Amino acid sequence: MPSLAAFARPADCEAFREKSGPELVGTEVTSVLQLKNVHKAFSGVPALAGVDAALSENSYVSLLGPSGSGKTTLLRVIAGFDQPDGGEILFAGKRIDSIPPHERGIGFVFQNFALFPHLSVAQNIAFGLSNRAVDPVTDTKIVAAKVRDMIGLVGLSGLEDRAVTQISGGQKQRVALARTLVTEPSMVLLDEPLGALDANLRTRMRGELRTIRERCGVTFLHVTGSETEALAMGDTVLVLDRGRIAQSADAGTLYSRPASADVARFLNCYNIFPGAVSGDAFESPVGRLALGGTRLTSGKQAYAIRYDRVAIRPRDAAAAGDEVRIEASFVASEYSGAAINSFFTLDDGRVFEVETHLSHAAPEAFEEKARYALVWKREDALVFD
Amino acid sequence: MNASGIKLGLGFYTALFIVFLYGPLAILAVLSFQIGPEGGPQFPIIEWSTYWYKHLFGLTPPSRIAPLPIEQALVRSLALAVMTMIVSTVLGVTAAQAFRKKFRGSGVVFYLIVLGMMVPGVLVGLGMALVANTLGIDRHWWGTAFVLHVVYTFPFAFLVMLAIFNRFDPSVEEAAWSLGVTPARTFRKVTFPLIFPGVLSAMLFAFTLSYDEFSRTLFASGRDLTLPLAIYGTFSVEVHPNVFAFGVLTTLFSFALLGTYAVLMGLSVRRAKRVAIQEEA
Repeated sequence: MPSLAAFARPADCEAFREKSGPELVGTEVTSVLQLKNVHKAFSGVPALAGVDAALSENSYVSLLGPSGSGKTTLLRVIAGFDQPDGGEILFAGKRIDSIPPHERGIGFVFQNFALFPHLSVAQNIAFGLSNRAVDPVTDTKIVAAKVRDMIGLVGLSGLEDRAVTQISGGQKQRVALARTLVTEPSMVLLDEPLGALDANLRTRMRGELRTIRERCGVTFLHVTGSETEALAMGDTVLVLDRGRIAQSADAGTLYSRPASADVARFLNCYNIFPGAVSGDAFESPVGRLALGGTRLTSGKQAYAIRYDRVAIRPRDAAAAGDEVRIEASFVASEYSGAAINSFFTLDDGRVFEVETHLSHAAPEAFEEKARYALVWKREDALVFD
Repeated sequence: MNASGIKLGLGFYTALFIVFLYGPLAILAVLSFQIGPEGGPQFPIIEWSTYWYKHLFGLTPPSRIAPLPIEQALVRSLALAVMTMIVSTVLGVTAAQAFRKKFRGSGVVFYLIVLGMMVPGVLVGLGMALVANTLGIDRHWWGTAFVLHVVYTFPFAFLVMLAIFNRFDPSVEEAAWSLGVTPARTFRKVTFPLIFPGVLSAMLFAFTLSYDEFSRTLFASGRDLTLPLAIYGTFSVEVHPNVFAFGVLTTLFSFALLGTYAVLMGLSVRRAKRVAIQEEA
């Protein structure tokens, strides 16, 4: 399979952009897509409960949400496959929530790729160009040239005449992407596009997706259930929780300053305690935790400390003045190459996770069921109130 | 019973099935080669000959046995079957397409459609004759009988297409829409090629069911007979092996039809699974 270096010149995609239709002409709007209070329920059960968001032009936006958070529904509503019950969707400054999918000009890449099984790779890519209702390309030479350029861009050269049932998962992914990009949409929706690929390929496609997007200058809205994928891919990460956008931020901010305990939980890198602030400490089920870290306003009170900010010490080691200390018994650890994750049970039965980067220290051997002190700096904790 | 015992039992059952399926046909085929015109429709074979085939095409010297009065009926039946096939398949595909989305009253409509193949044919035929009489409509094979054939074969085409759409992945259509292709063009360029094997099956069902339909046609076809009625008519006088010869030819025609179906099916499947020329990259 070709590497990034094998991609076509950036100029190729510039050519694609030249003719793209509904650009934002003469407006101050920088967001290509705006969602205002979008609602959708399935037989009474709300899937989207008032989504508000704005996606800026020429950016990579990832949409993170646990399963059942409504992320696929949101994508289908934006594409027009499902109708919202209420709210407004503006695309390039125009209301689109009542127009059919084929008039929206929004590309869609499906999780299962949804390639046309009766057409070859080249025919799949040419399909939109020659069959679309608006401005179809009738000159077969122009179609062939555009398809050839696009095949080069996504790295499928040599597979033009293959049946799409005869290519690998990663190649199908590229065909699905090429088929959409060749029609020059200003936005492409990707529904868990890497979900059907194996882990190795997934990592490589991440980089390629970003490169391809930059070359074409379109906005990608990438839906995923994986926090690492969302953080790695998105210039902006939207976190969807129970049908609402819980946070919209760049990856760094999201990771270090989640807007709520729920968002912190999706990120899968925080130990979270319920409780309430009282005086100069946070009353948690495992005792009073001294305050001193960042205070964030959110609906629900909680105390969060990142896995990798906790040190494991012998039980008799004393804590310094600026540290918080709790005790727990060791359960097991999980080795993942660059880091080791140790699991402890707290006195109330809660599981506490500590991530130790092995570049800092060699892995220590802990004794099962033995008590250890877990210590972190006060200022590293996040307190939601 | 052990596994090989079950295999033996199933094998025996299959053999029996095939004997009963093809036995009558084989007897017919053998007897059609009886010597004519003196030989009758029974064993033993006095002498092997192709007399009755020649008789069928009027190539024998005149004898006391009249030629089979089926020429017109054959044309009528073929025309009727083709008409029925086209109308039923179009109705079946469009109705099944409508049923992909739940609509109000879809359950009732479903049973109304399927009822067409469930109700006893003789009753429907008789009923149609009465209705036609009451309304003063002339009964014709291309009119009243044709309507009944469609009512009868449409549910089969519908059910075949319903099963096909059940396994159809709607995301390929959505993909086409998102590329800016209208739903109508998407149906023609994406949906139809993918459901084409199902459409062929629906056509085959409609054609064969209409071609040898008897009970509904009996009362509804009026003066001009269709092939099954004409053949039945010859039985009521005296049976000669020329009917068997005709039966053999009809069966061969059916096999030819099935063969065409298989070839078309094979082509459409092969198009979908074109053999890779290149090795995996």
